[in-house]
Amino acid sequence: MVKLLKIELKKILTYKVFWILMGLYFLFLVLGILLAGFTINSWVDNMNKHIPIPFPHIRIYFFPDIWQNITFFASIRYILILPATVIIILITNEFTNKTIRQNIVNGMSRQEFLLSKLEVIFVISLLITIILIIGTFFLGIANTDSQGMAMMFKKISFAGGFFIQLFSFLVFAFFLGFLLRNTGLSIAIFTLYALIIEPVLYFILKIPKLQPNNVSQFLPVNSVIRVVEYPYFPILKNLMGLNVQEHLSLLDCAVPLIYATIMIGIVYWVLSRKDL
Amino acid sequence: MEKVLSIQGISKKYGRIQAVNGLFIEINKGQVFGLLGPNGSGKTTTLSILLDLVRNDTGTFEWFGKSPSKESRKRIGSVIESPNFFPYLSAVKNLKIVADIKDKPYDDVEDVLQLTGLYDRRNDRFRTYSFGMKQRLAVASALLGNPDVLILDEPTNGLDPQGIAQMRNLIKMVAEKGTTIILASHLLDEVQKICTHVAVLSKGRKLFDGEVSDVLAVSELLEIASTDMVQLQKVVSLHPDFTSIVRSEDKWLVYFKSQIRPAEVNEFLFKQGIVLTHLSERKRTLEQHFLELLRDNS
Repeated sequence: MVKLLKIELKKILTYKVFWILMGLYFLFLVLGILLAGFTINSWVDNMNKHIPIPFPHIRIYFFPDIWQNITFFASIRYILILPATVIIILITNEFTNKTIRQNIVNGMSRQEFLLSKLEVIFVISLLITIILIIGTFFLGIANTDSQGMAMMFKKISFAGGFFIQLFSFLVFAFFLGFLLRNTGLSIAIFTLYALIIEPVLYFILKIPKLQPNNVSQFLPVNSVIRVVEYPYFPILKNLMGLNVQEHLSLLDCAVPLIYATIMIGIVYWVLSRKDL
Repeated sequence: MEKVLSIQGISKKYGRIQAVNGLFIEINKGQVFGLLGPNGSGKTTTLSILLDLVRNDTGTFEWFGKSPSKESRKRIGSVIESPNFFPYLSAVKNLKIVADIKDKPYDDVEDVLQLTGLYDRRNDRFRTYSFGMKQRLAVASALLGNPDVLILDEPTNGLDPQGIAQMRNLIKMVAEKGTTIILASHLLDEVQKICTHVAVLSKGRKLFDGEVSDVLAVSELLEIASTDMVQLQKVVSLHPDFTSIVRSEDKWLVYFKSQIRPAEVNEFLFKQGIVLTHLSERKRTLEQHFLELLRDNS
């Protein structure tokens, strides 16, 4: 296990593309999180001009809701696509450079190869989650009043939910990259599917007459998004009647993991049988 | 003799093409074993099966007397197809990955880089290497950690004359240490210069195998004629080194087992009362001989 991770780290640590894309991910993440607070509350201010009893500002960066809000921003599909692209590049590189063949010839088993990539996905997901937790923690401390501080870790379980989101989404990317083996094609198809095709599909399936039993929520990318579906903005509830989630649901967490497990199973099956 | 590799009837089909067709080969420790055959004869597919890159349809094989595993592959160094490394990593980093996989110490990395003359460029990215250097890095990777077996697929393909000479010297040097070598090549000349044993492949089948000196022995060919061609045929077939005779227009083409001096044949025939009106020596190149072997058996 540790040996495989050591090998993978050698492949990654001096790879510029990896650092550039990861840097972009964090840049967008930080910008997104900071801009969100600004734009949402200026929107509330605007609205308050027209109504007699003003809404209070949304306390995005306050404990304990900050855990839910930050993980929501961090798991928006437009942002998640960046680490997914990294994973696609890392797996398809093995095919375009034919280094997968070299690894096998040198004495890595096919199962170990799969395991090494899953370890990379796991560790990257874990590290991003940890960085997010640390960032959220300090952002929360800087903004929260004493009342909120008492409930500091109340919603930290959302960080676990975010880990599940990230890990599953990266496994989806790995799955596609492994099957297509071509970097550009995989990135194009994955992006197209996650950002356009599935949202359209979701919308069509959501038309009640067409699909009364609500299967739309089980679409793979949507199942990931659903884990932390909304930020905790009470205004959404009050104003639009949206049923804003207040905690993670076990089922929502299980669905993307089930998808990931099936995909890993298919990769295992293909890898064990196919010529390389 | 210690058995290194035993192939029992492996076959592989790609769609409708039968790439390997019931192949049996035994290779013992210390042999320099050549897989000789034209392009498409199944050499690379066979090596790919032996290294777990390609799944064989039928048949089995054993490395070191055991069924193949990742552990057996760690004892094998191989250069198959083009050199495959991470373009953005240096030679040292690429070889350290190999050392990690093979469970070999990093000290070996320096040794093989010295051996293949890449030491001065060891910290440059693989991307910046010339083709010859890439090929040498592949050899360095194969030699890492003193493998028990070295597998080489067309090792001199695409190299310049100097590179070819260096490569052959390197192979000989490794062979002298007692390393078993399996070398696939379509060049008869190469197999004859380097190998001790050979299996000739055609269309995925083994035509024959054995020691190089036996299999690839070049029979000598003389062109003779006399006034009585019938009597000449009878008498010449009594020669101890005679193998076969073919009529070519108004002459006989006579094949002999081993190298033979025309004068000696002339003397032999003269003693039997035959006076030759024509005698000339025909040299066949090794390549011609090889092609004939393939043609006779296809």
